[in-house]
Amino acid sequence: MKNYKFLNTKYLVVVFSLLLISLSSCDAEWIDSDLNIDPDSPSNVPMSLLLPAIQQSMGYNLLGNNSVRTNNIWTQHFDGVSRQSYTEARYQLTAADVNNLWGSIYTEMFMNLQIIIDKAGIEGSESDNFKGVAQVLQATTLGITTDLFGDVPFSNAFKGSQNILRPEYDTQEQVYDTIFNILDNAIVNLNSTQNVFAIDGDVIYGGSKSKWLKAAHSVKARHYLQLSNVLGNEAYTKALAEVAAGFASNSDDYAVPFEDSNRNPIFQFMEQRGDIRMGATFVDILVADSDPRTEFYVAEDANGEYVGSVPGSQNESASAPGPYVADPTSSVYLMTYSELKFIEAEANFRLGNTALAQTAYEKAVAASVLRVTGDANTEWLEDNIIGIPVSLESILMQKYIDGFGTNQPYADFRRTGLPALELAQGAVLNQIPTRFPYAQSEKDYNAANVPNAQLTDKLWWDQ
Amino acid sequence: MKSNFTRFLTLLLAFVVQMTFAQNQRVTGTVTDEDGLPLPGVNIIIKGTSTGVQTDFDGNYSIESKQGDVLVFSFVGLQRAEYPVGPVNVVNVVMKADASQLDEVVVTAVGISRSEKELGYNVQTVDAEQIATKPNSDIVNSLAGQTSGVQIVSSSGEAGASTFMTIRGSASITGNNQPLFVINGLPIISGGGSSGTGGVNTSSRSIDINPDDIATISVLKGGAATALYGVRAANGAVIITTKSGKNLTERRIEFTSSLAIDQVSQLPARQKTFAQGNNGAWASGNSFSFGPRISDLEYDGDTSYKWDPFGRLVPKGTGNGMPAQYYDPYDFFQTGVTNTNQFNISNGTDQGNYFFSLSNVEQQGIIPNNTYGRTTVRLNASTKISEKMTFGADLAYTNSRAIQIQKGSNVSGIMLGLLRTAASFDNSAGYEFADGSQRNYRNGGGYDNPYWVANNIAFDEDVNRFTGSINFVADLSELFNITYNGGMDWYNRRYVDQFKIGSRALPTGYLGEYQAYSGIINSDLILNFNKDFSDNFNVKLSLGNNLYSSFTKTLFGDATGLEIPDFYQLNNTSNNTTSSGESSFRTAAFFGDLRLSFYNMLYLGFTGRNDWSTTMPEDNQSAFYPSASIGFVFTEIEGLKNNNILSYGKLRASGARTANIATPYNTSNYYSAAGTADGWTTGVNFPYQGETGFQVSPGLGNPDLKHESQESWEVGADLRFFQNRLGLDFTYFKNVNTDLLLDVPIASSSGFSSVYLNAASMESKGIELSMNASIIRSKNFNWDVNGNFTKFTNIVTSLAEGVDNVFLGGFTVPQVRAVVGSEYRSIYGFDWYRDESGNVLINDDPTDSFRDGYPMADERSMVEIGNFNPDWTANITNTLSYKNASLSFLFDIKKGGQMYNGTAFAMNYFGVSKRTENREVTYTPEGTIDFDNTPAQNIVVMDGVYGRVDADGNPVSSGVTNVTPVVQDQAWFQGQGSNFGGGPSVAAMEAADWVRLRDVTLSYDFVNIVEGLDNLQVYFSGKNLWLDTPYSGIDPETNLGGATNAQGMDYFNSPGTKTYVMGVKLKF
Repeated sequence: MKNYKFLNTKYLVVVFSLLLISLSSCDAEWIDSDLNIDPDSPSNVPMSLLLPAIQQSMGYNLLGNNSVRTNNIWTQHFDGVSRQSYTEARYQLTAADVNNLWGSIYTEMFMNLQIIIDKAGIEGSESDNFKGVAQVLQATTLGITTDLFGDVPFSNAFKGSQNILRPEYDTQEQVYDTIFNILDNAIVNLNSTQNVFAIDGDVIYGGSKSKWLKAAHSVKARHYLQLSNVLGNEAYTKALAEVAAGFASNSDDYAVPFEDSNRNPIFQFMEQRGDIRMGATFVDILVADSDPRTEFYVAEDANGEYVGSVPGSQNESASAPGPYVADPTSSVYLMTYSELKFIEAEANFRLGNTALAQTAYEKAVAASVLRVTGDANTEWLEDNIIGIPVSLESILMQKYIDGFGTNQPYADFRRTGLPALELAQGAVLNQIPTRFPYAQSEKDYNAANVPNAQLTDKLWWDQ
Repeated sequence: MKSNFTRFLTLLLAFVVQMTFAQNQRVTGTVTDEDGLPLPGVNIIIKGTSTGVQTDFDGNYSIESKQGDVLVFSFVGLQRAEYPVGPVNVVNVVMKADASQLDEVVVTAVGISRSEKELGYNVQTVDAEQIATKPNSDIVNSLAGQTSGVQIVSSSGEAGASTFMTIRGSASITGNNQPLFVINGLPIISGGGSSGTGGVNTSSRSIDINPDDIATISVLKGGAATALYGVRAANGAVIITTKSGKNLTERRIEFTSSLAIDQVSQLPARQKTFAQGNNGAWASGNSFSFGPRISDLEYDGDTSYKWDPFGRLVPKGTGNGMPAQYYDPYDFFQTGVTNTNQFNISNGTDQGNYFFSLSNVEQQGIIPNNTYGRTTVRLNASTKISEKMTFGADLAYTNSRAIQIQKGSNVSGIMLGLLRTAASFDNSAGYEFADGSQRNYRNGGGYDNPYWVANNIAFDEDVNRFTGSINFVADLSELFNITYNGGMDWYNRRYVDQFKIGSRALPTGYLGEYQAYSGIINSDLILNFNKDFSDNFNVKLSLGNNLYSSFTKTLFGDATGLEIPDFYQLNNTSNNTTSSGESSFRTAAFFGDLRLSFYNMLYLGFTGRNDWSTTMPEDNQSAFYPSASIGFVFTEIEGLKNNNILSYGKLRASGARTANIATPYNTSNYYSAAGTADGWTTGVNFPYQGETGFQVSPGLGNPDLKHESQESWEVGADLRFFQNRLGLDFTYFKNVNTDLLLDVPIASSSGFSSVYLNAASMESKGIELSMNASIIRSKNFNWDVNGNFTKFTNIVTSLAEGVDNVFLGGFTVPQVRAVVGSEYRSIYGFDWYRDESGNVLINDDPTDSFRDGYPMADERSMVEIGNFNPDWTANITNTLSYKNASLSFLFDIKKGGQMYNGTAFAMNYFGVSKRTENREVTYTPEGTIDFDNTPAQNIVVMDGVYGRVDADGNPVSSGVTNVTPVVQDQAWFQGQGSNFGGGPSVAAMEAADWVRLRDVTLSYDFVNIVEGLDNLQVYFSGKNLWLDTPYSGIDPETNLGGATNAQGMDYFNSPGTKTYVMGVKLKF
């Protein structure tokens, strides 16, 4: 047996008592609530870091695979040849399918835009130009959103932090008033000189307030024209009133860039999913006209030809989308100078100003060809456009060709029925859908407010 | 105290003096039970010393002792017997059943040992023998089928795959539902494992435990059992005690070596008749197998056609005469091999003891290049540093390493590319061309060739883990002692995720480099009091303090667009990103445990714990959790005592309130690094255009959080009959979980997608039955049966206001949800249009777009289409032993519960599933089926009644049973007969019942065959050697997302395995 001469029980009691006391006394510090501040996430960030994130999301989502890819299948620029895209080609689009689009619009775009607008108004750091930029982006987003969904939450929306978790819906008529009000306000703010913070982080116009002003007027023109069935001639005159202050050349185009490290959404879709091909309706038009934009819009198929898939025919060997919409670095266009010229052409044409319409139409097509191909293609323009008497059909046909890769052809098709499109093979509806369904998340979590809607319901401006 | 010590020394001295003069002699004998059967494993100790031996298989013993010594014979369940050593050298002992003193000691919460008899709640223990021969790397898999109330799902048969374990259902909606794991008093990190639908299946961290180190596992199921763990108690606890040198009297060395062979278990049936192609025509690179009959094709022999070594397929008679053939893609799977070696050495004296072990596992999975390896070292030792104080330490190191292969819903997933491969295409005829580009059945597009994936994509994971604790026990007096257990569980996890250039998932190549360390620190200081106030009244009281800290820090970098092929370095690109993350929290607690026992008959237990947590709002950090339990051994009542039929009977009841805390950083709003994706693509992020981007986090924080609360109730009975030859245990439990915290989904029009709220409540209630029986007990032959039965429901009783369901995982459609009023984990998706009585409507409207004679998918809203939870589960283990041979087999039964077999549903679309075989149809010129020329077996009448969908989208039923014959042709399989064609998920729901021979072990012990080798055991065992299930896919014990709350999904999951093991165990 050992002799534990240095270790008496008494000492142990003392040691343990001290240990107990020391442990207990440090408890208050041990559970300091400052430990619950997230070390990875800031609680405040400058506006200039929010702005590029909003713009990126607008480019990737508002003009991406859950919006443009779907409605360009319906307008037969594309055809969905496999899996979910084939389902969409037959006019099936469920509430769950639009969750990602709806979520990004409200949580990534509107919510963060509202934060910028609020920050830019804080006393002592008033930054009116920055606020104006956010308002133009807000109106642009709201316009595209309402043109897909009709009635949407806005006046009571993105107020979750004020505990409004189930916002009511504004009617599309109210939403359109809101769009024009926001843009009027944006124009005032963009002309203001009260600017503590300059417009930084702007990947669209590099902080150029004159370009943002042009964009504000151009977006107003777009949405006045969209009201042609509601306002009649007033829509055209109001649109024309904005045209003058709008985009003046292709260099004013309202576009979101992509780059090798952040690649274009349609490119990523073709790379990672690949279930769409060019639509035969669109390819046939381009090929018939020997349109110089063909090789930019359409990739060659395996035989070196430009072949579209007849809507609903699942022709996987048809041409893939071309580099204009599906290169890694292809920009997406929120609005273009050429669209504004088409607006000018249509408004004048409807008002009977045929000569002005002719001029605007020719400029529109020339701007489109130049933007898409990088070349003026004067010869082709002279053979096919210049001097050929303009018609409503030719304006909307060229606008249809010009608007490939954007939501605008779908909006125009519903408004004007032009160009005329036939039903896809295997269609499960007897008409091309006239709206997007509301998101499943709204049906689940805002059931009391979300309107009932069928894909064949017409929006307010489409009556 | 001093006088006590002095007295003890005097006594000791006297003893030593006596020892010196005593004469040594060898006492031998046989120990038998009352039936005269020899008892192996009886402990024989010389009273007052720690010198002792055990009886061998024939009940024989031999011990060196002296006259005057007292030999103490003890064995669980039998009365202790004492025999003084006299002049006679042979002492044969008959041991009697001890019904009243059934004194199995179990380890309860916070390491407090209690005799099972005094517990007012159910605890089940699993011993080393029950897990020793099982070929599972992850100890959790070895617990499957061993107890009641426990549900375990192994996510796949991949080497190193994750496991998911729950006890008595789930207590949280979206949070952790897996139990707390504790090793030798130290809570450890155990969960984890993949949770995505694609990617790879990473290990759960319970895999780091060396199963051979384990002596016993206590499974604490109810709230009263775990209440002392406070905020970590809600999901039950798995209390592991490792082997030690305690109770040993001589050095023991054990060496175990085994070789396991894995083979792929059941696989989906494929059609072998039709070649690649579409609409009956062969097409190079086509996605589908809707081509011509393979028997009608031959090769053209064109060697310039690079996709097949024999050329294109052409109609018979137009090629080179070499017939086309069906290639079995399942040849891809190989025989897996696992080598396990384990060594340990242990010893104990009255001064201390030690246990040291070394182990190594090398596993090669059934998927080429999928491997798992583990090396562990453990030293568990203690020493007396004074007569009244013991100091010990338990130190363990583990290296876990795995190479995982892409799985699931992922264009590079093994099963996705493998199962979709056309019937006439041979994946194995080369996966890569000389230029490095890929050969697959889609001519380079579509999905990766599984051989290409296994050889060119690797997720290489390496975990270095250190777990160490120290413990002190100080006996302050006869009444008081103090115990301290403090330690740390810390690991570094690294992985390198490599995609060679040319994969379908990441075509430009990819490298991910991940480094993280995670750990917890735990300290428990407990003061124990134990006094017999009279022979009939005992009080035990423990008071303690707990400090706990959890932390993790990660650093991650990745690169896409690799410039130099096969060079995996973050700099090998112009496109790399980095990120880092950190998360930590702490808790502090005081707790107490009071046990009162009266007349060895009535036991009352009370516990209380107050926790403070940093994850809760500052003015609401504290919460108190009480429990009370009662155990009543009614066979102690005079008159019931010593009954020949009912040997032992106990009733028990308990109630407790436990809880859970918020996860860190949920009390306020933050901004996070920006980036976006659309559900189709990998998306975009920052830096972007040279800018940095942030956006407000879509989850709203909440400064008014409360603790989650779980009230649990349990009543039960433990009855043993015929001298314990038959035991029955019954438990009824009910857990009511309220104020459950979750990210409540909200309408994104609010600007946020969720808000963290105390919103939900959930209830779990059910019964557990256990039985054990010694059916035959004789000298040479014994037959024992153990069984468990569990049946419970786990209903979501409320979610947040206005929220009737919460997404747990899965796809856009279908998804696993928590839904009010339904079993937790319901599977939601689209159904067919049905009439009010539930009959499927078969379209009879020739004017609409649906095909007549077929059902129609109802996509108006998702409905419940099934549930993964079983109706009941049971397991039964038979152990037969004859002399030194033993055969044990475990049947595991699961009744009820469904899986989404998305694999089969998608295989229809591609024309590769067996059910697409009967597809051919001939039509008359009028467009009706030509019955004369269409094979009869291809004509079917779909179940349902005639109906249609009216202009408003509402179903209209005619009520008349459908009799229209139709054919399940390509249009059907690419339409509503598959997910991609718009078919409703309900068509893919399949029953996932099973009866499986989960384990079978045959062993033989050679005792003392060689001098110095005490025991040599040779065993053969098997796992899942037999499986009976209606499920048509892979082994239905699987889950797409791995260890996640979203169970029940199968979408190109990697298959399960059956395993054959041969092993030897040497004991010196």
